[in-house]
Amino acid sequence: MSARAEVAVSVGAHGDSLWSKALRKFRRDRVGMWSLAVVLAYAVVALGVVLGLWAGDWADVSGPKWAPVSGEYWFGTNIIGQDIFARSLYSTRTAFEVGLVVALGATALGAVLGSTAGFFSGSWIDEVIIWLMGVLDSVPFILLVAAISYTLQGSPWAMHIAMIATFWIGTARLIRGEVIKLKSLEYVEAAHAIGVSRFMIIFRHILPNTFHILLVQATLSFVAAIKSEVILSFLGLGVKDGMSWGLMISESTFEVLAGFFNNFIAASVLMFGLVMAFNMFSDALQDALDPRTVK
Amino acid sequence: MASTENNALLSVRDLVVEFETDQGVLRAVDGVSFDIHPGETLGLVGESGCGKTVTGLSMLGLVPSPPGRIASGSIMFDGSDLVSMDETGLREIRGSQISMIFQEPMTALNPVFRIGSQMRDVLQRHQKLTRRQAHSTAIEMLAKVGIPEPAGRVDDYPHQLSGGMRQRVMIAMALSCGPKLLVADEPTTALDVTTQAQVLEQVVRLQKEFGMAMILITHDLGVVAETCQQAVVMYCGRIVERSSIEALFASPRHPYTAGLLASIPRVTDERQEVLPVIPGMVPDLLHLPQGCAFAERCSRVRDRCRQKSPRLELLQSTQTSVACYEPNA
Amino acid sequence: MNQTPEVPARSDTGTLLQVRGLKKYFPVHGGWLRGVQQQVRAVDGVSFELDSGRTLGLVGESGCGKSTLGRAILNLQSPTAGDVLLDGLPLAGLSRQALVARRKDMQIIFQDPFASLSPRRTVAQIVREPLDVHRIGNTRERRQRVEELLEVVGLRSNALNRYPHEFSGGQRQRIGIARALALNPRFIVADEPVSALDVSVQSQVLNLVTMLQAELGIAFLFISHDLAVIRHISDEVAVMYLGRFVEHATADKIFSSPKHPYTRALLSSIPVPDPTSKSPRPVLEGDVPSPMSPPAGCPFHPRCPVATDRCKTEVPKLREAQPGTEHEVACHLAT
Repeated sequence: MSARAEVAVSVGAHGDSLWSKALRKFRRDRVGMWSLAVVLAYAVVALGVVLGLWAGDWADVSGPKWAPVSGEYWFGTNIIGQDIFARSLYSTRTAFEVGLVVALGATALGAVLGSTAGFFSGSWIDEVIIWLMGVLDSVPFILLVAAISYTLQGSPWAMHIAMIATFWIGTARLIRGEVIKLKSLEYVEAAHAIGVSRFMIIFRHILPNTFHILLVQATLSFVAAIKSEVILSFLGLGVKDGMSWGLMISESTFEVLAGFFNNFIAASVLMFGLVMAFNMFSDALQDALDPRTVK
Repeated sequence: MASTENNALLSVRDLVVEFETDQGVLRAVDGVSFDIHPGETLGLVGESGCGKTVTGLSMLGLVPSPPGRIASGSIMFDGSDLVSMDETGLREIRGSQISMIFQEPMTALNPVFRIGSQMRDVLQRHQKLTRRQAHSTAIEMLAKVGIPEPAGRVDDYPHQLSGGMRQRVMIAMALSCGPKLLVADEPTTALDVTTQAQVLEQVVRLQKEFGMAMILITHDLGVVAETCQQAVVMYCGRIVERSSIEALFASPRHPYTAGLLASIPRVTDERQEVLPVIPGMVPDLLHLPQGCAFAERCSRVRDRCRQKSPRLELLQSTQTSVACYEPNA
Repeated sequence: MNQTPEVPARSDTGTLLQVRGLKKYFPVHGGWLRGVQQQVRAVDGVSFELDSGRTLGLVGESGCGKSTLGRAILNLQSPTAGDVLLDGLPLAGLSRQALVARRKDMQIIFQDPFASLSPRRTVAQIVREPLDVHRIGNTRERRQRVEELLEVVGLRSNALNRYPHEFSGGQRQRIGIARALALNPRFIVADEPVSALDVSVQSQVLNLVTMLQAELGIAFLFISHDLAVIRHISDEVAVMYLGRFVEHATADKIFSSPKHPYTRALLSSIPVPDPTSKSPRPVLEGDVPSPMSPPAGCPFHPRCPVATDRCKTEVPKLREAQPGTEHEVACHLAT
């Protein structure tokens, strides 16, 4: 009996939550749905690589140097005869890995620190977090990656950590502002009046009402991470073991000089497609979650 | 039936305003007709969502479009139909012939410009005035609405003024070109009682001075009783009762009007124990019942009320029109 | 302000709430180097007592400090000075846990029916939260209590799993009232609970409040700017101006023989819903002065039609107009 009641409450038997409204709105957004489909297609490719279904031979030197596009080598081969198609697929996995790790890490960190700063705005806790944001923001990104990379002795995670260390700031600033706004709302005051603890007020009453911002911020961090990875890998600060679109473009600098474009085009086009789709998905998500248009 | 006297300054006929929404077409104003004569004040009364504000916005062609549009009807003002008029023509009329003031003066004033410069803009757009002339007219208008030291205040920014002062500035701006009609949408709702009393008194005095007609949109029946001669009561986009103020308050005919009047708490010497209430709630405009929209809440509901909506008709031997099959005697 | 160990006997008929010299000042940070430059005296020395089951109507214009007073009493904003005693026990100086425990006895109902309910929680979760926090009953009992509360405030139980945005303003206000009632409070601050509602809904909610009070014997501090609402709901009325009470008496006395010029001005400013009673009324000049720099002497003197020289220099104390009448007024000239 009581168990059923619990389920009914949490699932919302006939209640129409703001989430389900947003979902309904998103479903009607054609551009949003198509971009989501493209992103999912990339995700399937990445998942296949993780499960070992394809592209396991990305590192094998199997063909001739600079083989043209053919039935055997769909995208041709590179300078030492590796299959560019397999390398492209494997790079998709890398992109998702970098994107997901950075998006989750940066958004979580931004949410926790931003909401803490906002909730205790004006106190020393807020001052410390703002100071931290200011300091991290003022170090040039590339230098920071180099420094972290050096400190971690070339760990493959240096890039991820550097990105998380900088990307959380934007999210934290947004969340801090939103929390300052939310905490003065009457329902938060009502929670105080009931006697809800401050911890519970942050995590039950304030943070859930910033989820729509966090979701959008996560998608933006995802895209930013993929783009940064390309630049960092190109500079040799990025992916250490494995393959990525950035490394492919880096490799292709010599090939382009020799008039061979397959590596460059494959990596750029695939990256462009994912970034573009993700951006459009992010826009559609923002529209769907905008409370002014939800109600 | 709506009276069709030709000396009306503004006559609205069968006005229908619709809004596109996610869940279908919402009819915010449904067949509204009324007249205003020069110098007259008409109160447009009703609860939120009854269509009173949208009706007011229609008078200036200000219904946000999309999603809104005037679906049918006419608004004759000084011999021309505002519904079929293009934006250029409306812009000529707005601010000079018909002005509007809003509930929240802070949002209607631009915070980065001095009030004097905002007033000059309005004046110079509609009248051939030099900057200097416009400036002195602005000061004159500020003095008229009861702003102390108008020559100094004219250089203030909106945030330097109190709420009551800002609303006065809005009124000064609205009246500066000598409009024939003022549409005032809840002009005193955001103000305190003592300030409200000052502003209302000022508006009524200026209206007499300018010989201007006014549509006062409000939910406050006290304000209507003190300022208007005629009143229109709206419910779910329709007019349910139209009559003179005296008749409306002395003998409300529509059960909704009667219920509304009974349910206001009053300052009396004796404390009332229980307020009479109108049961239930306003129906959703997207899912209006087939017949009279008030039927569900009405104590005198009959079968035919649920089948067909009653038309607004003039009651015999009175000046009151009412949309009800069983009006109060 | 020492915590007395001996607990005075809880009396059912006597004084429930005592407020003594309550002050709440807000520092205003200046521009350069963020030094504290001025203080806004939102509540500046308010004292009163309230018995169980009675309603004190608190009326005043915006910025007079009436909402701050309500929040300072509940310790939602900690008072700058003064004491609040509930059942003779001071609220000041309590530990966080002790204060949470006392919150069972005092609740608040808010003005804005849209901002006062968390948009992502269902009605059941909202109304049940006080029971969760204070660990009252098991899951089934809590659910029963929630259903009972919804019935009390006139909502059907199919409201349980719905979200606040699916309700109208009046219904949302009822949800807020149900939440406030969940812990069986003995004192409720109602901060403009009907101001945002339409006329026909307003009367429904006012009747609900009256009924709950009669049945449950809750004491109310009912804050409103609307004198007609105050007239309807209150046993006693306090008129507030710039952070202080200027008049405090039973509702009958305030409305039949107001003594303070400000109260009289307020009363004559109300638009009367009766076109036959149009009478020239003395309209108050000017606006409320800023609470940051209140005028010297009686804070009302710049707007007062009967002010004398004494009013410009000497602050009038809240006193009984005539001894024994329990009609308090802060005016040198009132008798």
